[in-house]
Amino acid sequence: LRLLRRPIGLAPLRPARRLLCVASPTAALATDGDSSPASSASMAQPAVVDVNPPRGTRDFPPEEMRLRSWLFDNFREVSRSMAFEEVDFPVLESEALFIRKAGEEITQQLYNFEDKGGRRVVLRPEITPSLARLVIKQGKSVSLPLKWFTIGQCWRYERMTRGRRREHYQWNMDIFGMPKVRAEAELIQAIVLLFERLGITSSDVGIRLSSRKVLQAVLDMYSVPQHLFTQVCVIVDKLGKLSREEIEKELISTGLSSEAVQGIIEVLSLKSLSKLEEVLGSGVEAVADLKKLFSLAEQYGYADWICFDASVVRGLAYYTGIVFEAFDREGELRAICGGGRYDRLLSTFGTEDVPACGFGFGDAVIVELLKEKGLLPDLPRQIDDIVFPLDEELEGPASSVASSLRKKGRSVDLVEDKRLKWVFKHAERINASRLILVGKSEWERGMVRVKILSTREEFEVKAGELQ
Amino acid sequence: LRPARRLLCVASPTAALATDGDSSPASSASMAQPAVVDVNPPRGTRDFPPEEMRLRSWLFDNFREVSRSMAFEEVDFPVLESEALFIRKAGEEITQQLYNFEDKGGRRVVLRPEITPSLARLVIKQGKSVSLPLKWFTIGQCWRYERMTRGRRREHYQWNMDIFGMPKVRAEAELIQAIVLLFERLGITSSDVGIRLSSRKVLQAVLDMYSVPQHLFTQVCVIVDKLGKLSREEIEKELISTGLSSEAVQGIIEVLSLKSLSKLEEVLGSGVEAVADLKKLFSLAEQYGYADWICFDASVVRGLAYYTGIVFEAFDREGELRAICGGGRYDRLLSTFGTEDVPACGFGFGDAVIVEVCPPPPSSGSFSRVERRKLLGRRLKFL
Repeated sequence: LRLLRRPIGLAPLRPARRLLCVASPTAALATDGDSSPASSASMAQPAVVDVNPPRGTRDFPPEEMRLRSWLFDNFREVSRSMAFEEVDFPVLESEALFIRKAGEEITQQLYNFEDKGGRRVVLRPEITPSLARLVIKQGKSVSLPLKWFTIGQCWRYERMTRGRRREHYQWNMDIFGMPKVRAEAELIQAIVLLFERLGITSSDVGIRLSSRKVLQAVLDMYSVPQHLFTQVCVIVDKLGKLSREEIEKELISTGLSSEAVQGIIEVLSLKSLSKLEEVLGSGVEAVADLKKLFSLAEQYGYADWICFDASVVRGLAYYTGIVFEAFDREGELRAICGGGRYDRLLSTFGTEDVPACGFGFGDAVIVELLKEKGLLPDLPRQIDDIVFPLDEELEGPASSVASSLRKKGRSVDLVEDKRLKWVFKHAERINASRLILVGKSEWERGMVRVKILSTREEFEVKAGELQ
Repeated sequence: LRPARRLLCVASPTAALATDGDSSPASSASMAQPAVVDVNPPRGTRDFPPEEMRLRSWLFDNFREVSRSMAFEEVDFPVLESEALFIRKAGEEITQQLYNFEDKGGRRVVLRPEITPSLARLVIKQGKSVSLPLKWFTIGQCWRYERMTRGRRREHYQWNMDIFGMPKVRAEAELIQAIVLLFERLGITSSDVGIRLSSRKVLQAVLDMYSVPQHLFTQVCVIVDKLGKLSREEIEKELISTGLSSEAVQGIIEVLSLKSLSKLEEVLGSGVEAVADLKKLFSLAEQYGYADWICFDASVVRGLAYYTGIVFEAFDREGELRAICGGGRYDRLLSTFGTEDVPACGFGFGDAVIVEVCPPPPSSGSFSRVERRKLLGRRLKFL
């Protein structure tokens, strides 16, 4: 047995079940690159199939699917209450959409390949560029501001030594055409609403935020050339993962003076907006934006969720203003979601800039958090009716009973060829509300027997009047 | 077709060029660096701006609602699968147009062309922990790779419903009820659409009559499925080239033109499973109340290699469109994956043809068929 490493918080490791059947040497071999070929005894042809999905990907059997649907329904409900419209894009995009050369982790782990026509394509690592592309395509036909959301799958390719996932689903909300901090405030409201819907409070989770304009202001102070801005952001984002020395080293290697490096590191350790104001001055946009956001937060009622933390820069190249991320206050998990303003993305696509901001919220960490807090919902299977013919000759009548109930909108399982004992067990397993028994003598009188499973009440009903 | 809108901005020679293979490079005037980006999604794929998304969500909600009323459970699988899952060597169109590639680790993978093999894989994986019968549905995207000369799509969404562990025709009857419920929810009636059906056992019986070796069965099915698209002569030619005698070929073509169950019974005999299954299905259809939707048509075999019993497809009675959905029984798929067979049947229902058939949803105002097609960017006809 070969044990597959799975990311934390998921179901316990299941051994890889590889079904080997005698295979002819020509039968197709399914391997994931690290197992020995099937026996080559020559008999019938069944292919060897790996029952596991590709490395780093997940199947969603019913139970996992219920959880995922519950989560996604919450994403949609919050988006609806914020009056956002749903959109979608292909999971496959041109690779050119993601070539940024800023050293971001995300662009170094592209799930890219060459298609049969020789085109460089990619399973998208993030959604924002597709969104930007669609906004540009819509052109003048779309009226700003534009508030769109989507839930889509994103991919990365990395060596599987650490048992990490290669795909995840991500809820994205973006606002185009709102230049003011009001937009970020709206996005943060959405995030808070989502947490509250899931039963998470501001004692469990916080949202730390800052602005890229802080770093911009520091770089200006030290006359660092503009073209280094993005690289500096990407390096500085690793502050939690690399040591201070390593960060300083990477910064020096971009050409920054050691004064600039010290200045950056000092400012990034600030956790008080007033201290920031002292260092940068109150006229600076970075400070004004942040003060405005905190003031709006009071009015929205989520001030206790957010805090200023100058070390937040986020790892994507294109953020230009306020950036934020939600974190688990117990400090154990990675960021739950993150986002920010990106006013200059469209010009990198060759068109006029439009102010924009948004966030991405993955489906992995939030589930780990819910597990930790004991907030995972109980989502058992549930159906309305089981229809069961008590003998074979009643299978026709049972069909008509099931059919008419389904047309009335009830969820109905038609069961056959089982003993009554099995049917009762099954009813319990799937939480059926009623059992409808189609019996010979009742049917001859135009009746069926209805059993309410929660109360064990039983009575006869005219088949035609069954609701 | 919308012209490819390529936003050209002055680009340095080193800026990333996004092409779709048939346009000239950007001007190489050297100034600032903005990359050239194609605003269209990759060839053959669709974006869903809000209006199109509302239509899609309306359709998918209907798929889910019907599945719920049939007491099916939702599942999902990765859109990326191992290529080995789809190697069938039966000459099917679907396996000749795989969107496959080699990933960075040298593995042959594919953007799945259909969903049934993933489903079978998951059923096997669940093993003893799952209780039969099992009724699962999913709505997922499927892909194909073909030359884009005809402006065809490379992806579509497909609603699949499958039942594992129900050997009797009851299962097919349930699936057909689901399809009829869906049509009714969309405001489609049995005057708009029909479901023609037959059984692979018919062809099996004919091949047995002519002592055709079993290993040719699948290939014959795949050839015969092209009856609507190729001429009779071309079909006969392909059949002969598999090694069939010309008597067998004539016998096949004759039986496949039957449109009456009683005629079939005459030809094959009433003891034959093919006939018994079909009679049973028609009898159940009366009880379910959808008999006016279905009809026997021996030419229906469907193009997938693994069907073994009843097969069906829904069609537009105006005769203009391709099949709206299709499915059938596949009792011997799991053994091709190296495990014990479990009786199974299911259907796939795509998102393309249906929207051309159905009246628009209440919220989208009154659109003509042509406008609806435009609305969905269907200028690329999904032939």
